[in-house]
Amino acid sequence: MRAYVIKRILLAIPTLWGITLVTFLLMKSIPGDPVIGMVGERADPEVIAQMRENLGLDRPLVVQYVRYMRLLCKGELGRSHYTNRPVAASIAEKFPNTLKLAGAAVIVAVLTGLTLGMVAAVRRDTWLDRLCSLSASLGIATPVFWLALILVMVFSYALGWLPASGMGGGLPVFLILPALSLGTRSAAYLARITRSSMLEVMTQDYLRTARAKGLPGWSVTLKHAARNALIPVITLAGLDFGSYLNGSVLTETIFGWNGLGRFAMEAIMKRDYPVILGTVLVGAAAFIVVNLVVDVSYAFIDPRVGSARR
Amino acid sequence: MGGRARKISNVRCSTFLAAVAAVLCGCAQRTIPPDTIRLRLSGSPTTLDPAFIVDVSGGRIAAKLFNGLVKLNDKGEIVPDVAETWQVSDDGRTYTFKIRSGVRFSNGREVTARDAEFSLKRLLSPTVASPRGWILDYVAGAEDFADGRTDSVAGITVLDEHTMTIKLDSPFAPFPYLLTMPNAAIVPEEEVERWGADFGSHPAGTGPFSLADREQDVRLVLDANSGYYEGVPRVKHVEYIIIPEDLTAVVEFENQNLDVLEIPAAEVSHYVRSKRWGEFVVSRTGLNTYYLGYNCQKEPFNDVRVRQAVSRAIDTRKIAEKVLEGRVEPAAGPIPPGLVEAPPLTGDHNYDPQSAIALLKEAGLEDGFRTELMLSTGREELGVCEAIQSYLNEVRIEAALVPLEWSAFKKATASGEAPVFYTSWWADYPEAENFLFPTFHSSNWGAAGNRARFASNEVDRAIERTRGILDDDLRAREYRRIEKMIVDQSPWVFLWHRKEFYIRQPRVGGFKLFPVYSADKGTEMFLTP
Repeated sequence: MRAYVIKRILLAIPTLWGITLVTFLLMKSIPGDPVIGMVGERADPEVIAQMRENLGLDRPLVVQYVRYMRLLCKGELGRSHYTNRPVAASIAEKFPNTLKLAGAAVIVAVLTGLTLGMVAAVRRDTWLDRLCSLSASLGIATPVFWLALILVMVFSYALGWLPASGMGGGLPVFLILPALSLGTRSAAYLARITRSSMLEVMTQDYLRTARAKGLPGWSVTLKHAARNALIPVITLAGLDFGSYLNGSVLTETIFGWNGLGRFAMEAIMKRDYPVILGTVLVGAAAFIVVNLVVDVSYAFIDPRVGSARR
Repeated sequence: MGGRARKISNVRCSTFLAAVAAVLCGCAQRTIPPDTIRLRLSGSPTTLDPAFIVDVSGGRIAAKLFNGLVKLNDKGEIVPDVAETWQVSDDGRTYTFKIRSGVRFSNGREVTARDAEFSLKRLLSPTVASPRGWILDYVAGAEDFADGRTDSVAGITVLDEHTMTIKLDSPFAPFPYLLTMPNAAIVPEEEVERWGADFGSHPAGTGPFSLADREQDVRLVLDANSGYYEGVPRVKHVEYIIIPEDLTAVVEFENQNLDVLEIPAAEVSHYVRSKRWGEFVVSRTGLNTYYLGYNCQKEPFNDVRVRQAVSRAIDTRKIAEKVLEGRVEPAAGPIPPGLVEAPPLTGDHNYDPQSAIALLKEAGLEDGFRTELMLSTGREELGVCEAIQSYLNEVRIEAALVPLEWSAFKKATASGEAPVFYTSWWADYPEAENFLFPTFHSSNWGAAGNRARFASNEVDRAIERTRGILDDDLRAREYRRIEKMIVDQSPWVFLWHRKEFYIRQPRVGGFKLFPVYSADKGTEMFLTP
């Protein structure tokens, strides 16, 4: 297992390098000039030229890329063109917020998705199954931004129960609407996967044996069936968690959440190159780590996976 | 026993749920401290260093932290600020400012003429490289100093601790307006040197408020300056909250978590017509002009008859009424209402499709032509351009809509690539010259403002001459004459001037709209119990 983890970590290095290269090329190929955004269009051409020189944007692309890679090798992510703040410091400030939101969204997704999926599987072909499946389809079909706005309108505006924006200095109540908004789609996918996975497991012989032994229905479902149906669920939840760690642009913007997604989006709009590269790189690294953790966790849930890798 | 336990359990459960509901019910409700006014920003200010401010958020806050030599009142008139009086020499080139005694920076030191000199020189300094150095372009010796050829600005002289003069290369009547921009604010040299490039995070000024707290991209809190030279502001704290999404901001306002809100376009008619809120809506026509521009150097728009035809083919009043629901005031020319006292233009360029067809025929384009109408991506922009497209179609002009992301759009219009484009011009300072020189003088083609690449020697000379006229009435009449010359040449279709709509909570008093966002010092706002 240790060799497997080390191999995966080593493989992450060329992956991350490839990501910096692709992001850098994409970023430079889109129209727009960060200097004009910073100084305004009426600035003197000399000021624009000087600013471009100060930021190193007058150098050939290869030189700019090599400079950035040198910075990375020193463990730095550069400074924002606009605020001159170290990108690493800004990310360190915002990443915990994104992590908190991602965690809460995944909790919403797993709790809701597993419950709906298991209920649908256990009550197969009943009205309850159909209701759960319909809910899952609605969850998948609902755009995140629309759901977020509806949640704000209902729970904040109409009912006055929950705050509409901000992070409230860390009060958990401010997390409820963003987490619901972000986690709903995942919950819907998880419900579907859980249902099909459970249905497959529930036809296995060992479950029939468990029932024949006289074990109660809930015990068969939770202890024997659910555990074996968990692998695809964990894969999906892990992937979603990884992608949430890149920041959720729409949710963070609508709820005024000070996370990585909003930070990255604003940087893209302003062409703030070091921030774009920094957020993409950190997001990619987080995704890789989460995937690795998910892979390793398979071994604990299903020992056959671990032995196969060994 | 089991029944009793269940009963107790039910009671506990009900109590818990009631407690959760009570907590939740209060969560969306008012969270603003009683002595604080809370306002919204849609984005975080990039910096609070006056020399580098170019964004709206930064300008709004800088107005409350700093003062300049002069400032604007809510009518757009120049009034004293740190300079209690000023005089202009007979030749219109020399301004003598008398600095007020007893004005102090937030570090306690009194302001002198040397501070004003330092702040203006800083704006021009080649080592600082301020993006707004251009506002002092007219000062004698500014160019030499900015290029590093001299150590001092010949035109800026300190006569004594409370007197300074600024000499211009040639008379330029709008000069005092340039000094009202936040970039010309007076800053203390010792604090600038202490913080260096980080001065923007530790702003020290003479303004009615000082920065008390800042969470990057979340909020800023300003505290009233008890030693402010005009008296203590009427509200103790101003808190700015960053809320990027319009609908969320509206909900926060409705839940009384914002005291004043610039009403998003989609909500204007709701609030204006609302019985509950209507009386709390404040509006004024902004200093802006929305227009349909052409590249006047490219065929077929290098022919004035084609430009006039397009102007007459579009019913701007109907678009203003139906698409924009009256949120704009139709324009007769480039200068927005309120800037020039002289009688406004009564345009003869009203909607007249038959005349447009005749003009196209005269220009040899009786079969019409195809072109591209570029716009920045946005729901409102698309709605307006679709209406324009439909009107052009009626006179056989096929305009394909090309929506572009903002940076790409700006680049396409600045480079002359866009044959036709829908955009706007917003005032840097409230003087009519700002709607003529940058936008129509041939030295400003492209990003400087003249995106239509309009060129007319006659207009150039008239603008240059008029800028030096010190007599306000005469200058106003000249501005109208130039405006008429431009309208006749139709380098733009002059569409409308957008109105600004704000709404305040009933508890907020003294709220006024200023002609430019960076003029509001927030000293008159107060809270009623």
